Amino acid sequence: MPRQTFQEACVSAIAEEMRLDDDVFIMGEDIGAFGGPLHSTKGLWEEFGASGRVIDTPISEGTFVGAGVGAAMQGKRPIVDLMFLEFLGLVVHQFGLDGGAMHYYSAGQARVPLVVRAKYGVGPFHGHAYDFHSWLLNIPGVKVVAPSNPVDAKGLMKAAIRDDNPVFFLEHMALYHAGREDVGEGDASVVPLGQADIKRPGGDVTIVASALMVKRALTAADSLAAEGIEAEVVDLRTIWPMDEETVLASVQKTGRLVVACEAVKTGSSANEVVALVAEKAFADLKAPIVRVAPPRIPVPFHRDLEKLYLPDADDIAEAARGLAGS
Amino acid sequence: MARDNETLLELYRLMVLTRRLDGTIAEVDGHWHGLEGEEGVVAGLYHGLREGDAVAPHYRGSLTAAYAKGADLRRLLAGAAGKATGYNEGRYRSDVCGPPEFKMIGLYSGALGPPLGYATGAALAFKLDGSENVALAVFGDGTSSRGDCHEAMNLAATLVLPVVFVCQNNQVAISTTDRVGGAVADRAKGYGMPGLAVDGNDVLAVHDTVQEAIARARKGGGPTLIEALTYRVAGHFVSDAVEERPADEVAAWRERDPIAGFRGYLVAQGVSDEAMLDGIDAAAAEEVKTAMELASSDPEPGPEALGLDAVFA
Repeated sequence: MPRQTFQEACVSAIAEEMRLDDDVFIMGEDIGAFGGPLHSTKGLWEEFGASGRVIDTPISEGTFVGAGVGAAMQGKRPIVDLMFLEFLGLVVHQFGLDGGAMHYYSAGQARVPLVVRAKYGVGPFHGHAYDFHSWLLNIPGVKVVAPSNPVDAKGLMKAAIRDDNPVFFLEHMALYHAGREDVGEGDASVVPLGQADIKRPGGDVTIVASALMVKRALTAADSLAAEGIEAEVVDLRTIWPMDEETVLASVQKTGRLVVACEAVKTGSSANEVVALVAEKAFADLKAPIVRVAPPRIPVPFHRDLEKLYLPDADDIAEAARGLAGS
Repeated sequence: MARDNETLLELYRLMVLTRRLDGTIAEVDGHWHGLEGEEGVVAGLYHGLREGDAVAPHYRGSLTAAYAKGADLRRLLAGAAGKATGYNEGRYRSDVCGPPEFKMIGLYSGALGPPLGYATGAALAFKLDGSENVALAVFGDGTSSRGDCHEAMNLAATLVLPVVFVCQNNQVAISTTDRVGGAVADRAKGYGMPGLAVDGNDVLAVHDTVQEAIARARKGGGPTLIEALTYRVAGHFVSDAVEERPADEVAAWRERDPIAGFRGYLVAQGVSDEAMLDGIDAAAAEEVKTAMELASSDPEPGPEALGLDAVFA
């Protein structure tokens, strides 16, 4: 089993699917011989460039995502590399408003099997950090995926490519080159969309998170364990459709909920978790729900400010600790 | 260009049918976006496409495009009223959003421009598949101001895609005129593709120019931009009574009516006589009337059409 980083796992998933299905192709800016920003497509040009299935595009995010939608309508399975999530505003119309509506509006005749992948997040690259994924939760017909580790990145990318709907695939830059895992191959490595994963079991408090916040929640869980508090860390993996069952089962067990999210607190996808639990597991709660999320300001630039902005493991642990006593 | 009588008469029939459709829907739908005066562009564009060709039409002419691609007129009209029998099953309006099973690329939201990208993507799919299918991307002079228009043409030119861009220039965007700097066709030079201006009220000129561009695209020759100049004699939509344009200008364009002009041509060329053309007029009127009557009596969608579990494939 190869040892791969998050980035390598994404690329190997794409390469495997391209080998299996000639309809799969990838396009975006600088993804050809250049290998993609942060090596997001490294090696694909060498293997598939001659077949015309690795396509460098002009700087036209709205239209190359639109071209992905249009090609998907004709039966192709495009992967569009959007480079950075802060370009989401340029493509929401094509990806979401239209791409997400086509299947429904055409009474099932149109299908849009499209993956748009984008890098984001506060991390070592000091830029392009915006986490706007919450916007997508208000758009019917689209799926949103945010893996927290290489194994899930591989499996979810394969599932996203095989899915018949528009899927937005988030690649966190702080996780991108941050260590290797044994990553499986072939069909056995597929991680179905819509299934959360309990990354650490515990009976005292539930911490729901995704992507980088899972890593920080696990660090928080370690320090809580040293104090005798057992935290259960639920990794959403697919933010939409949300795995309600796993979240509710965990809260029913622990009676306490912390939701950690990298998007700003208001209008965030974290609030969907909160609303779910408030509606369906209110009687199980022993304490009020706590959200751990950045304030409603743009991501600041200086490292010290950035650190103050983004919740860390201590913030998550403190929130959980506050609940555990109640 | 060599043309057989069958093609000439079908172009005429499509124009007549388009005008009859326009008048018939206008009687029942105050928000119908009419296209009186633009039938030459519409018939010239959409006649003669292959089954596998994709079309992102201008919304003025979208019904004719779907009809010319083989969609059922009754279902199209039922869909314009949101009936259960429409292709969209009441979930959306078929007057601007044609059935994808006939390779129609609709306006899935009210924003103009993005469908040019979808048509470009369809052309990319055709190229990757090695097929000879082409995509038609049709837009108005208003949409020519959108960045989407530039981006789609540039992407199609750089990737050498089989797409034909057509500006259905009716010289007015809702109420706004004189908001296009220079001729749209001239922009083609900047993309390194052929740019052709054509009289949109001359259905034959439109048809020949588009068919030439399509033939070039099928053979791998890449995209073409065509600007078909016409005039929207109608208002933006039926209930839009305010007319800002000079009455003598509207009257002058009415004199250049594309249907009357082509009718005269067909008779002068000996392709047809008045009686035969009257017969085509009557048959088109009957076809539209029958389809409209059937569509009107079709059922409204029931609650099951809401499709709460139908958003994902």
